[in-house]
Amino acid sequence: MSISRVLSVNRGEIAARVVKAAQALGIEAVQAVSQADRESMAAQLADRTVVIGPAPSRLSYLDPKLLVHTALATGCDALHPGYGFLSERAALASLCAEHGITFIGPRPETIAALGDKLEAKALARAAGVPLVPGTDRIADAAAAQAAAETLGYPVLMKASAGGGGRGMFIARSAADLAAGFDKASNEAREAFGDGTMYMERYVENARHVEVQVFGDGKGHVLHFGERDCSIQRRYQKVFEESPCAAMPQALREELHRAALSLVASVKYQNAGTVEFLYDVNRQEIYFIEVNARIQVEHPVSEQVTGFDLIQLQFRVAGGEPLHYTQDQIPVRGHAIECRLNAEDPYQDFRPSPGRITRWQPPRGAGVRVDSHCYDGYLVPPFYDSMIGKLIVTAATRAECVERLQAALARTEIDGLTTNLPLLRHIAQQPDFIDNQLNTRWLETTGLPAFGAKQE
Amino acid sequence: MSAGSNIKPQDVEGLIELFKASNWDEMHVQVGEFELFLSNDPKAVGPGKAVAVAAPAAPLAVSVAAPAGAPAAASASTAHAPVTAAIPDGLVAIRAPNLGTFYRAPKPGAPPYVEVGQTISEDTEVCLIEVMKLFAPVAAGLRGVVREVLVKDGQMVEFDAPLILVEPAK
Repeated sequence: MSISRVLSVNRGEIAARVVKAAQALGIEAVQAVSQADRESMAAQLADRTVVIGPAPSRLSYLDPKLLVHTALATGCDALHPGYGFLSERAALASLCAEHGITFIGPRPETIAALGDKLEAKALARAAGVPLVPGTDRIADAAAAQAAAETLGYPVLMKASAGGGGRGMFIARSAADLAAGFDKASNEAREAFGDGTMYMERYVENARHVEVQVFGDGKGHVLHFGERDCSIQRRYQKVFEESPCAAMPQALREELHRAALSLVASVKYQNAGTVEFLYDVNRQEIYFIEVNARIQVEHPVSEQVTGFDLIQLQFRVAGGEPLHYTQDQIPVRGHAIECRLNAEDPYQDFRPSPGRITRWQPPRGAGVRVDSHCYDGYLVPPFYDSMIGKLIVTAATRAECVERLQAALARTEIDGLTTNLPLLRHIAQQPDFIDNQLNTRWLETTGLPAFGAKQE
Repeated sequence: MSAGSNIKPQDVEGLIELFKASNWDEMHVQVGEFELFLSNDPKAVGPGKAVAVAAPAAPLAVSVAAPAGAPAAASASTAHAPVTAAIPDGLVAIRAPNLGTFYRAPKPGAPPYVEVGQTISEDTEVCLIEVMKLFAPVAAGLRGVVREVLVKDGQMVEFDAPLILVEPAK
């Protein structure tokens, strides 16, 4: 290990996780905190804590120069960005490189290339990774109808210059296209000065699946199984599990191959995630994007593979070879994670920061809690509302669901409002138990049922 | 839960903590009958009939952390000892606006911005804080006489660290 002292520049549970992983490897951990996080778990665990700025993120956790200055001034030879904040900002990775500090993550040019959605899609196409089937520009309703015959209904019409849903509509028939095309094209022309339209297949019944990957930066890449993160609210994941039990083995292998082919083509370095849309009705997968960092939901992959992915991040960044072969990373059992947030599910998920007067997470076999909270901890109002992750593991998905239900029942948090009632509700839903889910399930079925129960 | 009637002591304590951790000038909370007004300005007058709880009895530019006489409500479970503990009576510290390297002079070999005994005003530049070759001057923020420089030239300072002690003008 060529890393001797690391600066942890994130906060919350991931900072505590990073500090512990570093220390387990004999690496000294310095924690950079804002004034609001002086008393945080990571600050208490770290070998040294430095207060870098006031509470607002842009004056502390979001200032790349301040972070690198701190690393240099405290004698650190590496920097771990965690997730969120600057973790996928190529500028931080470059600044580290310029000053001889090992950035624990991908190379800056990889972060930049994959962070650009169009460039990422071009790389995926070049690597033979499937994308959502679609068309080039479509001139009129008749051309749209002809294209839709080939793609298959339903289809999604989108404005070429667009965004924010303007000029966009779903068509389930030729009649829908005839009725909607001109209106949408005019809307696009008005909004963007360009009425050009194109078409994509609309995936009615989609799951969000993603592959955990690791690369040595020289072309050797490995995967650590896939995760199913279909339970989402406003594109925020709420439950994540591994493996994706709903996916047949043949398609799973295709998914892993696609992910590896893409990251091998860019000689990916360190941990990353390749996200896909899983079209359940057609049994196809389409590339969405790459997240060039460790993700919130990495623990479920750790639970089913037995690897500590944060420690592996340190090892790979420190120059150790990634000396495993794919068959040394078998996936065993099933793991489910759910995110505990300080928010009120009865009040439109309004954040509810405050002091935790009682923090009693569940314990026991197959139960893991990744959190930075403790009795008396004050959840500050300046940051993300996540207060912890409950991760349960068992031999099968059915046993895992039962263990999750029991663990949620034993969880006790007082002093502030959390989404715990919603997590308990979801874990008891027949659709969840039977794994009949898609990315719209929570918003269309799960949440309305939760609201109804409240009356 | 939409109640204003059951405000608990720890709620008030929590609000004071939030305020102290923020960089807000003042905070005004009203829930039903309950009303709380917090300000960093000792002369602040709360709106209406609210009772003003002036938090730190020093100008904001000088300190966000509470001085020795912190409001009683915010004691018990706040484990953190303010950096202000060692500031002698009658003196006020000029503090670091962020982590960085402290410099007493505009450039190497130049005379320092201020000397002990020198009279300063609010906008007197008293030192530099450097972050990655970006040198930001620090203004005094108060009028008075420099009594002590606490930090050595070229030393790393953390956010809110006391840099220079000043005896405020009467």
